[in-house]
Amino acid sequence: MSTNGNPGFTLSIRAKLAIVALVLLVIPWVGYTYVKTMESLLRENQVQAVVASARAVATALQDRPRLIELRAPTVAEGSAAAPRPVSEQIQLLVTALARPGSRIWVIDSRLRLVATAGNFDPVPVALNKDLAFGPLERGVRVVLQFVFERVQNPLAPAAEEVIPDDVVFGGREIERALDGTPSWRWRKSPDGRTAILTALNPVWVGDSVVGAVIVEETTQAIVSLSNRALEQLVAVTLIAFGVGALTLFFFASSLSTRLRKLRDEADNAIDSQGRVRGLVAGEHARDEIGDLSRGFSTVLERLARYNAYLENLAGRLTHELRTPIAVVRSSLDNMKLQVVAPESAVYLARAEDGLNRLETILTRMSEATRLEQTVRGGERESFEANKVLAGCVAGYAAAYPARRFALTRTDQPLLLSGAPDLFAQMLDKLAANAVDFASDDPVEVSLERNDNTAVLHFSNTGPLLPAEMKERLFESMVSVRRERTTREPHLGLGLYIVRQIAEFHGGSATAEDRADGTGVVFELRFPLAD
Amino acid sequence: MRRRIAIVEDDPVIRANYADVLQKHGYEVTAYVDRGVALAALRSRLPDLVLLDIGLGDEVDGGFKLCQELRALSATLPVIFLTARDSDFDMVSGLRMGADDYVTKNVSLPHLLARVSALFRRAELLREPAPTDSTIERGLLTLDLNRFTVSWRGTAVDLTLTEFWLVHALAKFPGHVKNRDQLMGDAHIVVDDSTITSHIKRIRHKFGAVDAKFDCVDTVYGMGYRWKAAD
Repeated sequence: MSTNGNPGFTLSIRAKLAIVALVLLVIPWVGYTYVKTMESLLRENQVQAVVASARAVATALQDRPRLIELRAPTVAEGSAAAPRPVSEQIQLLVTALARPGSRIWVIDSRLRLVATAGNFDPVPVALNKDLAFGPLERGVRVVLQFVFERVQNPLAPAAEEVIPDDVVFGGREIERALDGTPSWRWRKSPDGRTAILTALNPVWVGDSVVGAVIVEETTQAIVSLSNRALEQLVAVTLIAFGVGALTLFFFASSLSTRLRKLRDEADNAIDSQGRVRGLVAGEHARDEIGDLSRGFSTVLERLARYNAYLENLAGRLTHELRTPIAVVRSSLDNMKLQVVAPESAVYLARAEDGLNRLETILTRMSEATRLEQTVRGGERESFEANKVLAGCVAGYAAAYPARRFALTRTDQPLLLSGAPDLFAQMLDKLAANAVDFASDDPVEVSLERNDNTAVLHFSNTGPLLPAEMKERLFESMVSVRRERTTREPHLGLGLYIVRQIAEFHGGSATAEDRADGTGVVFELRFPLAD
Repeated sequence: MRRRIAIVEDDPVIRANYADVLQKHGYEVTAYVDRGVALAALRSRLPDLVLLDIGLGDEVDGGFKLCQELRALSATLPVIFLTARDSDFDMVSGLRMGADDYVTKNVSLPHLLARVSALFRRAELLREPAPTDSTIERGLLTLDLNRFTVSWRGTAVDLTLTEFWLVHALAKFPGHVKNRDQLMGDAHIVVDDSTITSHIKRIRHKFGAVDAKFDCVDTVYGMGYRWKAAD
């Protein structure tokens, strides 16, 4: 994974979108404000209605002055028989004028209760059954209702049946009403949860106030209405928020998944061996990510073409060079067939020597090309890698008499699928490489089984790998040789061949410094054939 | 009678060099630049041997075509491909077209001359029922060193000259491991290791076509090859 230019703190797209989604929280706030505004409007309206209602009752009583006037003395005189009809008339009148959910008291100037009507029983509010989100909202609201009922007031119990003391006695409003001034005020309901609106209106008879009408209404209807509105608001907001957040989450997830896939592919587009793979993630997407992917692909394609050009370069060079070399070779051969002056013979020999080296180069290069073709052809068989290794290492004793090879191997057969000839060719390259660099005996060779993998090691003492070359060591025409130690030309194709053959066997090749820093280890891993 | 060799090669210097050396060795040489000229001339009079390049001027595979056309004219005319191409594919194609040998251009002239004379010897001896005195027998294998022919269980195995020399080098001392360098020396070829490998592969294949159980060419990994004496 490349971490180039990567700041320590990264915020994924998902997290960013989640933060952006917080903007949605403004919706419930706006809704709440709106509901509250509506509530206060409704209250104002209620005040007007209640005041009007009080005035209406008072007016109705003023039109029938005798109802109060006649009754007053009667009650004062303690006669129980006469006032009934009067009281009943007042009661009828008041009952008729009472609005549902409101309570009307009529008192006379001596603060005696003349009539009462109505109660605070909640008026059934027409439930808004229109659900914006159908069953989903209903479900949310069922849950919410439960919560709301816990948090908010349950419907207030039917309020007191008598005028509270603070209204009747010492209530300034009553005094003012009996003085002839209508008034209204809010007070808390006894349970403290809703407010009660009290409107008072004097009842005039002639120039004197004979009583007062008190109309009371709880705000319960409004409260429950606003509660319901809030409930709906919360439900709708929750659903909208949920749906919005979910949508955003999925959108962001798909975005980050696509980007991550693209990044992973881009990271692995060029493997450690320098081979380029095209990108497939989002190549057909018709958006910026698709553009990015296609842009990447184009760059990679160019790189791949360049790499292929480099890899084919050896093959093409061999082919192109062979003809001029044939010219030189045949000319020299012709010259040798003639009688040559001794001094010329020296130059002839030198020319031939140079030509031979040139041919070695050509041979090496064509070996790599040829191998690529063989590998592409891909005939496979099952063979015992340890037997091939044992044979080869035995052969190295003869091929490199100056170096000792130490072989560690298991006796159990390690079956690989591939070509034993190629495997041997790969071992030869590894051995030649180890011998070239080894500063001391022995070159350690081992082949062991690790689960389902055969692990081959070639380890030699000698100079460590230049750090920047480790990755590129197995590429075509890459060599870490600093000075020309032998007359043999080195093209950096040996390890390239190793890699090709290792990959043909489904394996991989890596080069590392020895842990103790005394040399280099080449490790090759092959999947065992079963 | 001087033997006549035709060279078909588009590079003038190489053409001249090969022609010179062959003439010096007593052959009568005619050289042609491309397929058309060569075919027209060779139709009227067939040479005794043809050296062919594959790429001829504008024709990338002109040599292959010409080889087929020559084979149509004569089934026995020895043909050697002499080319800069060294891929297995080209080599197999060339031999399928009926060439007797396939040599890459970095072959030295002495090696080339050895091939030419060997092919002449073979062609000559095939023509007349020669006394079979110089044969090597190794179990089921019979090598005729004069005609450069091989038979296995009495059936002829159609090997190229290079392949014949390789088999000869191996079978001469059964059981002895010959490394690649030795084999290359014996077969007069200068090629890389993997070319030997593909030659050996082809030899096994050809013997395998005659006898499915053939397994006498044994690979000794890290050393080379040996002829396993049959039981």
